[in-house]
Amino acid sequence: MRKLSIVLFFMFICVTAFAQNPARVTIKGIIKDTSSNVMGGATVMLLTPKDSALVNFSRASDKGVFEFKNVKNSNYILKVSYVGYLPYQQVLSPSPTEVADLGNVGIKPISKELLEVVVKTARAPLTIKGDTIEYDARSFKVPQGSSVEDLLRRLPGMEVDAQGNIKAQGKDVKKVLVDGKTFFGDDPKAATKNLGAETISKVQVFNDKSEQAKLTGVDDGKKEKAINLELKEEYKKGAFGKITGAVGTDSRMAARGNYNRFNKTSQFSILGYGNNINETGVNWSDYGEFKGNNAFNQNDNGDFGFSSGNRWWSSNGDDITNNFDGRGFTNNGGAGVNYNFDNKKTKFNSSYFYNQTRLFLDQYQNQKTFLEKSAFLTTDTSSQNNFRGNHSIGTRFERMIDSSNTLIVKLNMRAGNRDDSNTMFQRNLTEEGALRNSSKIINNGDFTNFSLNTNAIFRHKFKKKGRNFALSLGYNITNSDGNENLNPTTRIIDAKTFEEQVRTSRQINDNENRQNLLKGSALFLEPLSKKFYWETFFNFSTDNRKVNRDALNGLAENKRIDSLSTYFENTVTYNRVGTSLRYSFSGINISLGGAALRYGLEGQQFTGKNGRTLSNVSKGYPEFIPYFDANFELKNNLYLNFSYSLEVTAPQITDLQPVINNNNPFFISTGNPDLSPEKSHGINFSMYKFDPSTFLNINLWGGYNYYLSQVVYNQIVNTETLKVNTRPENLSGGTSFSLGSYCGFPIVKTKLTVNMNPYIRIANNPTFINGVLNESNNQNYNLNFGLSFTPSDKLIVGMNTRFGINNIKYSLGAAQNQNIRNNSFDASIKWNFMKKTFLETNLDYTSFRNKSERFAFEQDIPIFNCSVRRLFMKENKVEVRLAAFDIFNKRQNIIQQAFQNTVTNQTALTLARYFMLSVTYNMKGHESKLKKNEGW
Amino acid sequence: MKNTIILISFLFSSFMSFAQQNEGIVYYTRTSRWTKMIETVDYMSKQEREKMAYMFGNKDDWKSYNILYFNEKEAKYVNSEQKSEESEGYSDRKSEYIIKRNFEKNSTTDIIEMLGRVYIVEDSLITPNWKILNDIKDVAGHICMKAMVEDTLKKQKIVAWFAQDIPVNAGPERLYGLPGLILELDINNGAVIIEATKIENKKLVQELELPKKMKGKKVNEAGYQDIIRKHMADMKKAEEYPFWGIRY
Repeated sequence: MRKLSIVLFFMFICVTAFAQNPARVTIKGIIKDTSSNVMGGATVMLLTPKDSALVNFSRASDKGVFEFKNVKNSNYILKVSYVGYLPYQQVLSPSPTEVADLGNVGIKPISKELLEVVVKTARAPLTIKGDTIEYDARSFKVPQGSSVEDLLRRLPGMEVDAQGNIKAQGKDVKKVLVDGKTFFGDDPKAATKNLGAETISKVQVFNDKSEQAKLTGVDDGKKEKAINLELKEEYKKGAFGKITGAVGTDSRMAARGNYNRFNKTSQFSILGYGNNINETGVNWSDYGEFKGNNAFNQNDNGDFGFSSGNRWWSSNGDDITNNFDGRGFTNNGGAGVNYNFDNKKTKFNSSYFYNQTRLFLDQYQNQKTFLEKSAFLTTDTSSQNNFRGNHSIGTRFERMIDSSNTLIVKLNMRAGNRDDSNTMFQRNLTEEGALRNSSKIINNGDFTNFSLNTNAIFRHKFKKKGRNFALSLGYNITNSDGNENLNPTTRIIDAKTFEEQVRTSRQINDNENRQNLLKGSALFLEPLSKKFYWETFFNFSTDNRKVNRDALNGLAENKRIDSLSTYFENTVTYNRVGTSLRYSFSGINISLGGAALRYGLEGQQFTGKNGRTLSNVSKGYPEFIPYFDANFELKNNLYLNFSYSLEVTAPQITDLQPVINNNNPFFISTGNPDLSPEKSHGINFSMYKFDPSTFLNINLWGGYNYYLSQVVYNQIVNTETLKVNTRPENLSGGTSFSLGSYCGFPIVKTKLTVNMNPYIRIANNPTFINGVLNESNNQNYNLNFGLSFTPSDKLIVGMNTRFGINNIKYSLGAAQNQNIRNNSFDASIKWNFMKKTFLETNLDYTSFRNKSERFAFEQDIPIFNCSVRRLFMKENKVEVRLAAFDIFNKRQNIIQQAFQNTVTNQTALTLARYFMLSVTYNMKGHESKLKKNEGW
Repeated sequence: MKNTIILISFLFSSFMSFAQQNEGIVYYTRTSRWTKMIETVDYMSKQEREKMAYMFGNKDDWKSYNILYFNEKEAKYVNSEQKSEESEGYSDRKSEYIIKRNFEKNSTTDIIEMLGRVYIVEDSLITPNWKILNDIKDVAGHICMKAMVEDTLKKQKIVAWFAQDIPVNAGPERLYGLPGLILELDINNGAVIIEATKIENKKLVQELELPKKMKGKKVNEAGYQDIIRKHMADMKKAEEYPFWGIRY
């Protein structure tokens, strides 16, 4: 015991004696290379051994001498770096003396090959771990399908002979490891011959102890070269998808599903849906998953010129996304596939989709039409059964030919058919309510459509920075063929004779429509200086349409009715050349320019299909248009925009064709081949301000348009029979003015946010009614007020109120002024009330009012929805939802609107109360918490 | 052996010629990659982030440009007005961003516009806690060593590549303090990469001066960090992108 105490005592003394090292130390030495040359200017660093943290650094003098004066005396890693040399490391222990002289510190040069080929040429990082040198194999390009052997042949310092034997830095490689493990036994060739080069991310070469040394544990100094191949992490590979099935009361059902597979360069997806709950397509989120990296494309707009927006992203989702307008009952189905390929140079996308919808629609419409001294009422009760089916194929190809040339080619093809049947009962009454005429119309139609759109855009960047050229060409074909059966029975109450009183007709229209559109655009951008750019563009298009319509009398052995048959061909040609000067610097972009354009309108009427020319119209409208646009991006996230333009647009081709549309015998419209283009002055401004520290954002925008020439639908109304004939004509004097704002800010940050959105629109629309000018003044005032309350991450409450006033004044008679009010209130709750269980409910109360005399309308619609959903299974892969829609059973679609000299109330039946149970399986699992911000 | 000596003496002499002019301008290209920037945020689920990456494909990046003026005593880093090739000549406003380091006086003056106002951050130099790694690579013709630092404020992993042959402590953004000029920064595994494209050795005249009039709210480094910390906490609560309004 006593001896032991003495030993311990001695040990203690020894330890304290060692601990007597000086607190501060000076570390010095001389850096030399393997040939004893001094390395002046070498970087010398002191690091902590624990985590390589940099403590101090200095530089060797011209004589290679370095010195760290008065540093803490502790453990260090001394690190020396010098261009062309391997980083050198030496572990330093605390020094017993005040000066730790390390003497000569020798550093080894990096082999010339590694330096020149790996670091300088392939620009691959070199990692040095002791005597292991590792570099990234991905920097060395080998052809597709090459083996590791081919890759090794390209690597500096490696030699591979014809038999596949490998030498590294002149020494035989005895071992090849894959991810640190031996690959199929000891033959190093097994891995190098069998593995593909594309699977390798890194190659490491190191010295391995000889087998002998490993066995005996005695280092015999013999080192063998070994190679380790690190496999690539296939991080961008996977699959996702989900499938939903739902059943409800009243035989309601829905199914939808999508599956996507992808790897680094390609994406493949399938999507399908079917339902009778008015979902005519999928939502935008599912559309995005289906289309993948093809959902939004940049630079797809080939129409160059003023504010053409070719800087923006574009998308085309109309075919696949839900576009139900709220009226009627629909049965829907659709399915398709999409494939995308995308590497850095080439992007290829291709998709096929088929969708169909059958609509059953029953609606009631009440319309008042104002005339010079009187007014009349029209009531329609209609029942429709329409079917639409469409096949569409879309392909897009984008290729970066080289760093200065890009080509985009797009091709879209669509083929479809539709059949419509419409039964309508219409009554025209005097303002006092006396029936003047009525008609029962049964119309059926059957059409097939085909369209093909092609477009190619080529962009070239010149050597001079900023000088660009772009060219686009497009060719579109649209064909539509079909039959219409028109079966009206009309009764005119005041008719003198019985023949006039009741009239039945049967008309068969055999339609053939052909459209060919060729268009092209060119753009040249020249930088004049760092701040000024000069832009020049040219556009042309020629739009040719042919209409052949045989109107046959079904009651007279299908004899042709000459007055209603039409054989017409017209061509609208458009040429525009323009130029602008732009100032672009430091967030200010101002463009000023002008363009000369010409519309050529040509029309030819024939006596029949392939018949002789009956009449010929040919007119040209040259025009000069000025253009101004100014954008300011100012300090503190303030954005301003002002613009002025003179818009000139060609009339709608259907308005130009002298085709008589008599689908409704009491409302007959005729085209007008003498129409000239629409022309209007437009000024717009907008302002946006965002304050990221208070989360306040304000938007303000406004615009004013004045029509020098506007296409309006003039009416001739027979005050006795109340039959309306309408025809498009040019008129000047129409105006529209709008002013709106959106502003949102938090009252309590992250908890309570409010937003306001007032909006005003005032428009003046002139029309000739029976030769008398009527000006209708339409004033729209809207105010939205919204509130969002998030007391915790388990509860989100939203409220929204909307007030809308629409005043319409008619210059024909002040007594007819209308006052329409639409107000609504909406409240919603999302509540995560139990683990993995959510309650979602909303109440939407809308009131429709028209206060005018003799056309009063009053309807309140409360809609109450409620659903509970719960997540099940690992990763919440299954979601079960029980939902009740429109619990009060009140849903119907109401539209109140005023146009020209009419005001309309329309009520359509649609899907009301139902209950539904749905189950969704999501391969990647469902979100298990509420989201404060929907979408991105 | 003879060859090696020639090579070494050649490298040595080239080093010496650089060493005589540790003054000049570095032009950096700053590439931001959106799908990587959101990889580290927690307001989006992994699934949402993957979906976004899926829809963006390879086109989620944009470029901006920066300039660093340096000598052995001082450095100034600013936003450049250079336009990217995709901009078609249109110009965005560059927010005010001037990072001034004085190594001799051990002081920093930063003019940073963020969260809707301009701040002037004045403090003494606090060197980042660098770790030195054993990798070398070539950036803009210079062989660089790898160093790493963690930004505990913005929760970013930063990799820097510093030149072995330009003994200047300066660097891009707010980073400095390595034995050589930083020529490349990689923030959060490629979310933002700032890479030198050109290094001009020249005598600087006025370039290192700060603007005569500096308008903004004066804060010290701790105050600056507090503002960012508070904003990021707010954004996290609101489940929004935390770098909205501040530099990534």
